[in-house]
Amino acid sequence: MDSESRKKALYYFHEKVVGPLGFKFTPDTELVDFLLEQEVTLEAKHGIPFCPCQPLRHDRARDMQIVCPCIPFHRQHFDAIKRCWCGLFVHQDVTDPDSLPQLSPKDVGLG
Amino acid sequence: MKKVNLYTLSTCPWCRKAKQFFAKNDIPFTYVDYDLADEQTQERISQELDEAGATGFPFVKIGDRVISGYQPDAYSKALKS
Amino acid sequence: MADNFVRAISTNEIASGGMKAVELDGQEIVICNCGGRFYAIQRRCGHMNAPLELGSLDGTYVTCGMHCAQFDATTGHALSGPVPMDLGSESLPPRVAAFIQHAAEQMQHVRTESIRAYQTKVEAGWVHVAL
Repeated sequence: MDSESRKKALYYFHEKVVGPLGFKFTPDTELVDFLLEQEVTLEAKHGIPFCPCQPLRHDRARDMQIVCPCIPFHRQHFDAIKRCWCGLFVHQDVTDPDSLPQLSPKDVGLG
Repeated sequence: MKKVNLYTLSTCPWCRKAKQFFAKNDIPFTYVDYDLADEQTQERISQELDEAGATGFPFVKIGDRVISGYQPDAYSKALKS
Repeated sequence: MADNFVRAISTNEIASGGMKAVELDGQEIVICNCGGRFYAIQRRCGHMNAPLELGSLDGTYVTCGMHCAQFDATTGHALSGPVPMDLGSESLPPRVAAFIQHAAEQMQHVRTESIRAYQTKVEAGWVHVAL
């Protein structure tokens, strides 16, 4: 199983899901490549492409909430910061992803 | 000098940036890569994250201030205060 | 260029996005219609031999219906292995639980291998597969 083919497939599947949610892949292509590479590693280890920046709790219900793309489970938070936690996806109108700080739910008055 | 401790993931680029921030500014820090830690440590860190209302990494503790996410401005502020 | 093309099915037999299993010269093959382009792969999943036409096709990606291993229909390359199952938290009858435990212990050693992909061509409304 080679990483490049898997990254391409993940890109294909993710793109179809995040579009209708109002998100797109970040214009930072280096970050996309890096994060997808991490997802491939996580998938090889766990069988599921988890978010590379959130903790696995070893509790199925909680872990399902960080399967990429995890946007539906963190909608309010991610809409408030215009990006998902790891930054793989950003709102469709974002052109300068570096300007989006990684704020926690508390930082934006949630949770 | 305030004690700086990080909880991070080996797969997370923002965690790497957070570590680099403290290293570049010559601020001593300790860190634990959650995904490489044993079950007990993971359980403890998981609880800490829940108590702080944090959902992801990096989880940065500067003194008794907690910052969730890569936020270099907030780190600088916490170090000075 | 292989010249042992065998006529398989008519292009009308599978709708776009669909798959159909055929047997050609004793070989079990699945024909995939990917938006009007036809690809052919071995029928048996590279994980545990389940029939791939009972899985799903999305673009040129085939997902096995048994444990969700994924393959590239154009090359047969294995892209990902099985997805871990969640059987819920209800307790099972002891013999069932023991069997599942036993099966799980065996399955963790099973690799997902790439599968054979066959050359295809469409001629006069028929999909041909090179065996």
